[in-house]
Amino acid sequence: MRILVVEDERKVAELVARGFRAERYAVDVAADGQAGWAMVNTYPYDLIILDLSLPGIGGLELLRRVRRTDARVPVLILTARDATASKVENFEAGADDYLTKPFAFAELQVRVKSLLRRGPVSQGGTLRVADLEIDRLTQQVRRGGRRVELTPKEYGLLEYLATQPGRVLSRTMIVEHVWDESFEGLTNIVDVYVRHLREKVDAPHPLKLIHTVRGVGYSLSEDSSP
Amino acid sequence: MTVRSIRFRMTAWYAGLLTAVVIALGALLFLHLKSYLENTLLETQARRARQICDTLVANVGTTGEAYVAREVAALYGPEKSDRFIRITGRDGRLVYVSGVPFSQAFDPAAVPAAQQSSLAEFTRKQPIGDGPALLIAAVRVRAGGAPYLVEVGTSAAPVETLFHHLLLLLGVGLPVVALLAASGGYLLIHRTLRPVDQIAGKAEQITQHNLSERLPVPATGDELESLSIALNRMITRLDDAFMNSKRFVADASHELRTPLTILRGELEAMVREEGAPDQQRERLGGLLEEVERLSMIVERLFALSRMDAGEAQSEWVRFDLAELATTTAGQMTLLAEDRRIAVACDVGLPVMVNGDRSRLKQVVVNLLDNAIKYTPDGGAVGLRVFTAQGSAVLEVTDTGVGIPAEDIPRIFNRFFRVSQTRAQHPEGAGLGLAIVESICHANRGEIEVESAPGKGSCFRVKLPLAA
Repeated sequence: MRILVVEDERKVAELVARGFRAERYAVDVAADGQAGWAMVNTYPYDLIILDLSLPGIGGLELLRRVRRTDARVPVLILTARDATASKVENFEAGADDYLTKPFAFAELQVRVKSLLRRGPVSQGGTLRVADLEIDRLTQQVRRGGRRVELTPKEYGLLEYLATQPGRVLSRTMIVEHVWDESFEGLTNIVDVYVRHLREKVDAPHPLKLIHTVRGVGYSLSEDSSP
Repeated sequence: MTVRSIRFRMTAWYAGLLTAVVIALGALLFLHLKSYLENTLLETQARRARQICDTLVANVGTTGEAYVAREVAALYGPEKSDRFIRITGRDGRLVYVSGVPFSQAFDPAAVPAAQQSSLAEFTRKQPIGDGPALLIAAVRVRAGGAPYLVEVGTSAAPVETLFHHLLLLLGVGLPVVALLAASGGYLLIHRTLRPVDQIAGKAEQITQHNLSERLPVPATGDELESLSIALNRMITRLDDAFMNSKRFVADASHELRTPLTILRGELEAMVREEGAPDQQRERLGGLLEEVERLSMIVERLFALSRMDAGEAQSEWVRFDLAELATTTAGQMTLLAEDRRIAVACDVGLPVMVNGDRSRLKQVVVNLLDNAIKYTPDGGAVGLRVFTAQGSAVLEVTDTGVGIPAEDIPRIFNRFFRVSQTRAQHPEGAGLGLAIVESICHANRGEIEVESAPGKGSCFRVKLPLAA
């Protein structure tokens, strides 16, 4: 899998490139629109991560050019602007997804994976982490074969963690996914729900599945170290 | 019209000054005119007395006193002309005294004798009972080897009558004149100050949300015109300053995003690094929490500046505020249960409003979160949605710490925090309520707060009902 990162902020570009290289992607970096356009024309990319405010050819213009030549390559926009109007404009220009700075790398990873259709897309089936089973059709949860009764929000939270096992999900991501953007900034709501979830899911068992990475977020994993 | 208004004060000054001037003029007139008229009358009497002396008394040696008396009576007819004439010889011997005058104003026989005086001519004002005094001029003369005193007098009644009339005129005229001056002055000032009322009324309406509006400029060419022009220039400068600070917030929050992305990304990478000691992970985590807090502040500032710029109303929909309140409260139950706080939802019939649903949901979230946060364990939070006076009302009450009265006017200011809560909840930034207020205004609503320190607070959001 080959990813092109078009980002004029060198440090941001490095950060993204390093993160994806660690996940064994091939990553190219272009520092402006001109270079990006040249690389798009040279190599076949599986995905483009595009910053909007670029010197030379702007991000939006580059996106339009890409769409004129190749309609299929997924494009994820990174931007420091998040006004509703520009969001609409971006999708009209052909962006597949959209992420506002500052973002958590984990979130970028999740979105890139889902764009590459490598992430979990199925809504049905059973999710399994160690002896935890989540039936997504009946929304029933079992640990070691025993029913665990959860409220709808607790279930939503557990299911979201279980769809990305081993991955640390930030509290902002959890809030946006399980609640909605109106709860943004209310990150302590996640802490309270995670604590209750732990009491129901982990407390009776010696093997703890829910892990806290301070400052980063929560993960669901068999390993004791996230 | 209050006592301190310019209208009242200037009218009072007008009337007061005019009254004072008229009274002073009247008093001067009174005193001077009175002595002038009396002196003139006395002068006339003195001239008569001298005439009597020169023409008749001087020849008394040859004509005899009886002749003099007869001649005086015939020539001067004092009874008919209301005059008093008396000629006295040596040792007060009466040579002639006029009879009771036609008007019967005085009795000449009862007029007391003149006091001893060494002057050749002298005058006096002789009081007569209750009636007008008698103005008497006396001339001393020596004739035929004997001293004579000739007294001629007249009643002061005409002078007194004149002065009575004058007094009456002043007494009636003064209040009338003062009243006319006051009402004339009032009308004049009222006309002059009417633009001031209009300017004040408009100035009252201008807030930070409609700084683009201007005061009316009366085209009078006077000081008021230049005042309103000067005020308008001031509003323009304020508007510019406000725009600048808003632009600054928008630019600053925008510029902070990229460095925050780098900080966050690098710190996260360091946390993930294998083999890092737990202690270091813990410290990096602490840093990340601060970065998250910074990011949140930037997010909120950005949201505020977007609403300042008048965010498009394209996201407006018609929805049920009651339903929004209940579902939002439902999504937060655990937050309250965790602190053993009972959330009482008193929501009845649907209450339809027009607005940005997700933003208004943020209002409910922030208000409920605050209510739960600032209520001690085991307290109660109330959520009500109802219709009152044509408005949709959403009310969030709590039994929390409350807000000190002096802080209430600033509670919606950006970055303002009640000092006590800053100590207990250091994680906030003081932007939540500023956002809530901005959202309310952007949705044509208002928010008000009542609070009793130690007992609890009540936040009330009013939105126009949807048709």
